[in-house]
Amino acid sequence: MRKPVSVFMIFSLILIVSGVKAQDNISPQRKQAIDSLALEKVRDLSKYISIIGDKQTPWSDAQRVIERAVELFMENSEVGVSSLGRQDVNYYKVREYFDRLMQLNYDKVTIDWYKIQYVSDLVRQPDGTYVGVITIYQRFQAFDKEKGLVYEDTTKKDITVYVKRKETQIGGRLIGFWDVMLGDIRVKETSK
Amino acid sequence: MKQLTYQIRSVRWQQILFMILMAGLLIGTDGCKSTGKISKKERKAQIEAAKKQVQSIIDGTSTLSLDDQKQLLGDIMDKNYNDPALNSLIIKAQQKLKTALAEQYKIKQQMVDAARAKLYDLLLNKDGKTADQLEQEVNAIKAQNLKDSEIDELIERAEKKIKDMRAAGSAVNLPVKTQIENAFDAIARFAAGGNYTQADNTIDKTLKFFSSDDVPVLIIISREGTIVDYDKPTTIKRYMNFIRDTKASNNVIDAIMTDANGKIKGLDLIKK
Repeated sequence: MRKPVSVFMIFSLILIVSGVKAQDNISPQRKQAIDSLALEKVRDLSKYISIIGDKQTPWSDAQRVIERAVELFMENSEVGVSSLGRQDVNYYKVREYFDRLMQLNYDKVTIDWYKIQYVSDLVRQPDGTYVGVITIYQRFQAFDKEKGLVYEDTTKKDITVYVKRKETQIGGRLIGFWDVMLGDIRVKETSK
Repeated sequence: MKQLTYQIRSVRWQQILFMILMAGLLIGTDGCKSTGKISKKERKAQIEAAKKQVQSIIDGTSTLSLDDQKQLLGDIMDKNYNDPALNSLIIKAQQKLKTALAEQYKIKQQMVDAARAKLYDLLLNKDGKTADQLEQEVNAIKAQNLKDSEIDELIERAEKKIKDMRAAGSAVNLPVKTQIENAFDAIARFAAGGNYTQADNTIDKTLKFFSSDDVPVLIIISREGTIVDYDKPTTIKRYMNFIRDTKASNNVIDAIMTDANGKIKGLDLIKK
């Protein structure tokens, strides 16, 4: 009677270990899907920032978008803000950054992110989290109703991304999903 | 003599003649009345004919329906021929009919079960069929003439649904999957064109397909064998607002889960 139990236990152990192993060593295709997902989140953020900064965006829409944008970040993450007129870079908590962005004292603001790419690939950490760095270039333009374009700069920024596999139950189904969280956005250089 | 002649003349001969005729008629009809008895020869012929009919039931060669065969057997038994050979055949035929009726009942029940399941599917319209497609399938079930009250009630409901679909407009005739994907594309298109009112109207209209604004939406980012990787789960309202905000609809529907009312209770999307 003991033998089948032992065989069953060994078999179960093999399954568990192979399952864990399967999660540890994900295939190149799955890894690519995760890489793309993280890049996509940064692209989403760029669209949110553009909406929040746009003076045409109704206040309620801006508030909703701020909520969505904040959800992309890990708690206590900071965003660096630079200016051509000063050397220092100011860092603000994410929500404060978005609030300030919404209230910028210009008649029109356009913010475009481009060259969004990895500078440091997602690498698996001992706790299973994948960490990487994505760099973006931000073109900021501010306009005055009478004077037209009054300020513009281009800033290179690095965004740390954290990707972790999580599980949740939805409608009785166990769903394995990749949670992409953005960390600090650091200013690397600012130019005209 | 004169008196006798007078008496003879005074008799109403017409009346007497009429009475004689009537009496003759009555006697005549009485003489034609059946005695209810048949000759031995006739009885034998009837038994032989009954045997043939019963044998055809036993052999399964009768062209009558099972109900008619049952009726026929009852009629033969009622005649009470009291023929041992015929009685033996009747017992065999009864057993045969019992088995056949049980089999027929079983088949009918299976057909009723299949029709019931099909009609519930059609009512939910999980596959997002058009009104014409639904009608075709309902008609196929009707043609089975199952004579089942539950099936009749479900057919009635399905026909009402088809009618409602048609009354609601031609767009509704599109499969639900297509309608929702079209709505996602429309939201992105309206938002990209700066027409946020139309985008919001489309969101409100599309939400009516769902059991609530919080219906979970899962986006498949990778599928490798049995391993499926999803993006972080979201809800239908948030997803449609996301399309509006990003001005892009980059996913198509992979699966739709509906509730008992035919409303969507879960949506799986996959990258285009």
